[in-house]
Amino acid sequence: MRNLLNFLIKYSSWSVFIILTVLCLFLIYKDNSYQRYVFLTSANGLSASVYKTTSNVTGYFNLREINDDLNERQAALETELVSLRKSLETAKELLGADSIKLPSLSGYKFITAHVINNSINRPNNYITIEKGSADGIEPQMGVIDRNGIVGIVDVVSDHAARVISLLNSDFKLSCKVKNTSHFGALIWDGKSPEYAILSEMPSHVRFVRGDTVVTSGYSAVFPPDIPVGIIDNGWRDPDGNFSSLKIKVFTDFSTLSTVKVISSPLRKELKQLEEQNSDE
Amino acid sequence: MAKTVLNIIVTFLILLILQVTVFSHICLFNVAVPFVFLYAILRLPMSLAPSWVMIIGFFSGLFIDIFTDTPGMNALASTILSALRRPVLKMYVNRDDDITSDAPSAKSLGGFTYAKYAFTLILAYCLVLFIIEASSFTGFSLTMMRIVFSTILSFALVLGIDSITGERQNDKKTPSL
Repeated sequence: MRNLLNFLIKYSSWSVFIILTVLCLFLIYKDNSYQRYVFLTSANGLSASVYKTTSNVTGYFNLREINDDLNERQAALETELVSLRKSLETAKELLGADSIKLPSLSGYKFITAHVINNSINRPNNYITIEKGSADGIEPQMGVIDRNGIVGIVDVVSDHAARVISLLNSDFKLSCKVKNTSHFGALIWDGKSPEYAILSEMPSHVRFVRGDTVVTSGYSAVFPPDIPVGIIDNGWRDPDGNFSSLKIKVFTDFSTLSTVKVISSPLRKELKQLEEQNSDE
Repeated sequence: MAKTVLNIIVTFLILLILQVTVFSHICLFNVAVPFVFLYAILRLPMSLAPSWVMIIGFFSGLFIDIFTDTPGMNALASTILSALRRPVLKMYVNRDDDITSDAPSAKSLGGFTYAKYAFTLILAYCLVLFIIEASSFTGFSLTMMRIVFSTILSFALVLGIDSITGERQNDKKTPSL
């Protein structure tokens, strides 16, 4: 024992080096279930407050662009509203007012939050937002902005939360081509923050460049038909059974400022079901 | 002595805050990320025990990690940088008394030796960091470009910080950058 202590003291710098290295490797290679280690993520109190302070300044930088986007979106929504009203009226005339049940987003709640930290140039990008469990945000909630989908909530503290960005190798989401039932998995290939890959699409179907891709709604994370992007390019996978599509995403991750976190009415039920399944 | 310690602490605080709020968000041409906080580790006095240097390096790296959500990566890179400080300096300086004197600087080592010292360590840091960070889809060429250009950019900034702080201490010339 004494020899061991002497040895450690004699080579103290080596032992410190080894201990620190092992600690780092542990942090790097531990599995992803570190919900318990909120303090080791950008959602912890200190970094959240630092980022909040800086975003008070940087938040003004892209306002002009964002404003333009919002105006466009508002115009598009107004047009849609008019056409929907029209079709509702015709539908009412055809069927009688009481028999229509419109599929709707009722029950979904949107929580608006400001982005206080964001990166786009790493292989695994995360976003930090300034709302947390105190505002009703929970892990596994979907996040969108005015243009399209942004990511999925990952770690939550009281007043901040970390979002797995679409630009993250851990991100995977079921999406489909609008007005068809062909769906695949949306992933990011790490190359450009403007493009994502829709993989596992059936290879016998021909897709047209410029078609819109939307969420499929096959989970409680995102409601169906949230816009994702448009098809830019496509190719057949080497094994021949599936094809992949290169998607130009609508969301501009470099100017992300205000996002909406989606709380689905089905969340609780689905969670219960999943827990039951994992218990059995 | 107390002044030196205070100086070091202030340097660390300023550089770490600057790193997480400004420099970590910069990625020039999608390849070059500046790491200015390394300057604080490079300038730690040589009389400080290697273990302490490594512990300081580890925690500064961990601080960056927490803010950028890269658990352990910067911590490992800066621990290795801290561990390599002494061997690298020994490689470039022949006389031992030069090493043990005080904080490595262009004045105590000579400009060229100091530049070599800083460049080698920053290169080591970027090598470790980007090789760990490279996942399956970051190609080899992109990783290499990131290593090379981040090293050059960080090196330039470290020399820049050096010229600002160095001049202010020695004579009252306005810093020329």
